[in-house]
Amino acid sequence: MRQALRTASFQLLPGLAILAGLFLLPLSYFFVVSFWQVRTFRLRPDATLEQYARVFTEYGSTLAWTLAIATLIATVTAAIAFAYAHYCRFRAGRFGDGLIFLSLVTLFGGYLAKIYMWKTILGGTGALNSALMALGLTSGPIPALLFSPFAVIVTLTHYCLPLAILPVYGALRGLDDTAIEAARDLGASGPRIFRDLILAQARGGLTAAFALTLVITAADYVTPLMVGGPSSNMIGLFIQSQFGNRLNSPLGSAMAFVTIACCGLIVLTLSLTLRALTRPRT
Amino acid sequence: MAPLVELVGVGKGYGSATAVHPLSLRIGEGEFVSILGPSGCGKTTLLRMIGGFVTPDEGSILIDGRDVTRKPPEKRATNMVFQGYGLFPHMTVAQNVAYGLRIARVARTERARRVAEALDLIRLADLGDRAVSALSGGQRQRVALARALVMRPRVLLLDEPLSALDLKLRLAMQEEFRRIHAQVGGTFIFVTHDQAEAMSLASRICVMEAGRIVQDGTPEDIYRRPASRFVAGFIGEANLFEGVGSDERVRLSCGTVIPGAGAEGPIVCVVRPEAVTLAADPAALPDQCDARLFATVEDVVFLGPEVRTTLRTDSGAQALALSRTAGPLRPGDRVTMGWATADQQVIAA
Repeated sequence: MRQALRTASFQLLPGLAILAGLFLLPLSYFFVVSFWQVRTFRLRPDATLEQYARVFTEYGSTLAWTLAIATLIATVTAAIAFAYAHYCRFRAGRFGDGLIFLSLVTLFGGYLAKIYMWKTILGGTGALNSALMALGLTSGPIPALLFSPFAVIVTLTHYCLPLAILPVYGALRGLDDTAIEAARDLGASGPRIFRDLILAQARGGLTAAFALTLVITAADYVTPLMVGGPSSNMIGLFIQSQFGNRLNSPLGSAMAFVTIACCGLIVLTLSLTLRALTRPRT
Repeated sequence: MAPLVELVGVGKGYGSATAVHPLSLRIGEGEFVSILGPSGCGKTTLLRMIGGFVTPDEGSILIDGRDVTRKPPEKRATNMVFQGYGLFPHMTVAQNVAYGLRIARVARTERARRVAEALDLIRLADLGDRAVSALSGGQRQRVALARALVMRPRVLLLDEPLSALDLKLRLAMQEEFRRIHAQVGGTFIFVTHDQAEAMSLASRICVMEAGRIVQDGTPEDIYRRPASRFVAGFIGEANLFEGVGSDERVRLSCGTVIPGAGAEGPIVCVVRPEAVTLAADPAALPDQCDARLFATVEDVVFLGPEVRTTLRTDSGAQALALSRTAGPLRPGDRVTMGWATADQQVIAA
């Protein structure tokens, strides 16, 4: 028993080393820094909650706006990802795997390419506005298409979609077709099977898709900068500037950790809601 | 009495392949029917049509006098035990069994009572809170059975439910099925490719071959009076002697003429191995053995309750005899095979 335990912990070592070295150590450095201060452009070790207080007083509304928009993007993305993965798993037959592969190929396009692509589509002289004007639906270009929260949502949803599809499809692939037939045989309707079997067993994948999109969008600062316009400033832009030209890494760290904590809470809420919704009963 | 399940000219094809040729079948209340055939004979398609998972191309299906041909499975008075069980892996045993009752909005106390009753019936009363992933194959199989039985279906459909179990467990489960059928009554339709399983369970067997029901009768009927060469070969072991029939007599291909009414022209004479008596001296054969054939012993295997002797007839056909005792026979011995013509079945080839 003791021997087995020793072997097991020995085998866990490489994994733990990678986790600690690449994730825990750098993060805990910034966690410590978030309690420090900057005095005359120099870092001063301290144990103050001042930075956290500033996050809420100075950046509270930006944080709330960021979390709202990120939650919206994550919800839309997870929903589309679920619909797509569901189609691939249950309707596309033998083309399912191929369709999933196609969705992943779009990742090769790269992040910036996608942003510029949407700039081209949504811009004042872009494809969408030109088409609307040519059809006589609008007299001039709609400026709100680009440099607006709408553009941020569209761009980030498009970017995150393949990443969100993957965990959902993974979860749906594990479903047993016979179990679904058995549920029908026992009288379950389509919506009932969706809730009791499909959602109940794919909620892990769905939560992963949501969480992945949420953390990517909540921390993103390139997309709001490029297509967002002045009204869609997100917390990522401010975090970046604290580490950059403002030289205030304690405040930047505090902002980052508050964002991480909020994202954690949102994901936990979703996870618990899904669990309550799909909980099996006797 | 009106049948509980009635199939009228029901057929199904997939593309250019015909899975089930139009066939008619009537199954009465309380029957335990086995649909028996090799893989690909259409037996599972037939069962799935009764259950509502496959829509027939033609014909109609009536359950309790009502046409259900186009009704989906959730609207039929049938429940199915699937080959792969199809248990819900994220639910406990009791939650699996209760699922159909919840859908049917059976009240909580009634539901709990019926679930307990079903678990009791399958002898898993203590495992209600166990996750299905923690069950053995045999236990899973029983949960699948309980989940269907708890619905008190008019017709219980079983699709090769024992095929994933090992032999010992399969035999034990066969006994369970017999006990449960006797205990709950109801109509069971059981699909299998295993003739021993069909014989031991069902009171009626429908043998299927290439999308057709080729014989429908009691296990004894089918064993003793197979309707075709296929049925004779598929159900148990059989000696199949080819020959030509005319005037109440059969001339076997080895030249021997034996009494045998039944068919004119090319025939197959079916003789079960246990009906065959072997003797080195023809005079030693009992009088009732009025059909006789010369053969050479190829192998003698002692199996305990019986002795299995493989032989080759003079026309080169392989033959088999099962007897209680080995006698003094050895490979290479010349013997006479004798049987009573009452025990043989002559079928047009």
